[in-house]
Amino acid sequence: MSGVPPGEPGESSLIRPYSVTGGRTRPSRSDLALTSQVVAVPSMDPVELDPEPGLLLSLCARPVSVAEAASRSGFALGVVRILLADLLDQGYAVVHSSEWEKRRPDAATLRSVLERIRAL
Amino acid sequence: MDVMASEGAGPVPDTLKILVAGGFGAGKTTLVSAVSEVESLHTEEVMTSESVGVDDLAGVEGKTTTTVALDFGRITLDESTVVYLFGTPGQKRFSFMWEELAEGALGAVVLADTRRLSDSFGAIDFFESRGVPFVVAVNCFDGQRTHRGDDVRVALDLEDQVPLLLCDARSRESAKEVLVELVALVLRMELSGV
Repeated sequence: MSGVPPGEPGESSLIRPYSVTGGRTRPSRSDLALTSQVVAVPSMDPVELDPEPGLLLSLCARPVSVAEAASRSGFALGVVRILLADLLDQGYAVVHSSEWEKRRPDAATLRSVLERIRAL
Repeated sequence: MDVMASEGAGPVPDTLKILVAGGFGAGKTTLVSAVSEVESLHTEEVMTSESVGVDDLAGVEGKTTTTVALDFGRITLDESTVVYLFGTPGQKRFSFMWEELAEGALGAVVLADTRRLSDSFGAIDFFESRGVPFVVAVNCFDGQRTHRGDDVRVALDLEDQVPLLLCDARSRESAKEVLVELVALVLRMELSGV
């Protein structure tokens, strides 16, 4: 997993978070926004996965945002994006991005949101 | 994406993103916590001094790294709609993070502290330039609503259509009022075709 033995000279706070990605600092895809919802595909058997992506996949048993997956796993956001992108590419999970990331909700939706916030 | 693939895991909600900006100590995390259904969530982004310009970390041991903390909260309105509130990191050098946060945001709350009003200028400029709808909420956490809204409006050089209200970021009801004000603004903009 990690190419840098713990405590070796040269190890930095940057290397450690990204050791689980094999040193990659960019995800294989760009559609993972902070609020994108990722959900595991139930029929896929995750036995082959390393512990870190395995943990993330388990967090996605129900739809979870990229930001929450990062918060719950304790991994840095950039690391989570890379590992989630791998899981999507491998078919273990799917991503759903809200239309509202691209355009403002219509008036009816906004009215409904307003009412529901008032009612909280 | 194929939402049906999630069959069995429940519906996948659509999400709305609201930003909470303001200077250090203005009460961003407090406001997010006050209205979030879960305890304020937290994640971190790690970057090099050269920010996003690095593809591979082989041989970059010497580079300076920085951690950006991101606090956020969640409000589930119903099974198909979830609102995320993101506190924006205060420091200017994290502007790349602001760009991502602003992308697709419904709107923003700028929390102002009357003792340090100038701390709000950066956020106001940013949201104005990106066309992100925003309200200004003056956090009266000292419990004394002695600040006059009109004075703050002048000091911040706010345009007339920008709502300004007093709030107590610790209060759930007050935080809700601020969000209601913001969504009402966005609705007015939608109805008037802005």
